[in-house]
Amino acid sequence: MKCEYCEIADLQSKAEIIYEDDEVIAAIKDVVATPGQITVFPKEHFTILEMVPNKIVKKCADIANKIGIAVFESLGAQGTNIIIQNGLAAGQSVPHFAIEIIPRREGDGINLQWQPQQIPEDEMERAFFEIKEEGDKIKNFDDKEVKENEIAVDDGDTKMVMKKNKSDKDNYLLKSLKKIP
Amino acid sequence: MINMPDLTEEQRKEFEEKLKNMSPEELNQFQKEQCIFCQIISGKVPSKKVYDDNKCMAILDINPATRGHILILPKEHYSIMPQVPEEVVSHMFLVAKAFSQVLLKKLKSSGTNIFIANGLIAGQKAQHFMIHLIPRKEDDQLLNLEEKFIEPEMVKKVKVAVENKLNELLGIKKVIVEESQLEEGKEEKKDKTDKVKNKKNIDETNQDEESDSENQKENEEEEDDDEEETTENDDVEDDEEKNKKDEDQTDINLDDIANLFK
Repeated sequence: MKCEYCEIADLQSKAEIIYEDDEVIAAIKDVVATPGQITVFPKEHFTILEMVPNKIVKKCADIANKIGIAVFESLGAQGTNIIIQNGLAAGQSVPHFAIEIIPRREGDGINLQWQPQQIPEDEMERAFFEIKEEGDKIKNFDDKEVKENEIAVDDGDTKMVMKKNKSDKDNYLLKSLKKIP
Repeated sequence: MINMPDLTEEQRKEFEEKLKNMSPEELNQFQKEQCIFCQIISGKVPSKKVYDDNKCMAILDINPATRGHILILPKEHYSIMPQVPEEVVSHMFLVAKAFSQVLLKKLKSSGTNIFIANGLIAGQKAQHFMIHLIPRKEDDQLLNLEEKFIEPEMVKKVKVAVENKLNELLGIKKVIVEESQLEEGKEEKKDKTDKVKNKKNIDETNQDEESDSENQKENEEEEDDDEEETTENDDVEDDEEKNKKDEDQTDINLDDIANLFK
């Protein structure tokens, strides 16, 4: 069976499309939490967020943000929820990464509140160190992005790409040097 | 509305007058001083910081929905997402992606939710925009979205309203008009725009008393909402128990999570 969102992207059916470009689609499905809910997803099939290239994540976030603004202004929403369900355990029902924009109104019957958990201090500390350890590794966030691009290129060209990135970086450093009075 | 029970009527008026005379910059500064998350960012209030760069910061939530609940905050003070610059929003989503991976691998979560609430009605608790990243386990009963079928007519109405506004925002010159609703739709759309206008008027008149004009609506509903929250919280049972049970340390990798669908 074909993935529901791929079908929307390919056949342009089963949902009303309100935005489309080479990489991203925004559609209104007929089965939603509340009228006005809009789904943004990449055209290419990626199951979960971790598989989506950074460039496309950025684009999806950008379109979702714009739709959030449009929803506020055009539907008279009093608030919005923006949700990504990443994995079956997180409530993901279609195996295709998507961002949901949900307009909110008083008395719409949606309850997305949670009960704060009392987690013992040592448990919190353990989680903190585990996450911080990995967080430190993504310190140079933009550099990491460059590395990911390099991996995408096949071996023969890698050197060239690396060189190119290096010279880009040099240029950037030069530029910022020039800015210093 | 600002609720200050300790002040006399005179003091309150004086304070409102002061707010009224503030420049946008001063107002912004005042907001920052009042915002607990701005104080966390500046280091005045301690936090469990797991990430920091020039645009945003990530900390562990002290009132987590589950163990490992992360908040990603822009360094600048913005109340809701529509106010946040494009590049900051997309950067924050990339940080969320990176940490989602960390939670899946390190905390052996079987899924993650990225959750944003804009406005009190949407469950926003603090006046500082943030992305929640919540690690999930099976059956932890969080963030349940009940979906239902929407009439095609309604879908079309939403399409017309939102697509036109979105095109305007994106700078695309294309106006969508639904034929069947040409007559009817016009009136309805007019109603809607009127409503928006009215809302704006309210905003303007009350602006001065408020520390944040954008969140006017939310502030008005603050009291009712708080009450609701407490009752709603009572409804959510069993969460804790179920979460505690889910401490099994099976090795889950990304492919496993993706393959669950197949």
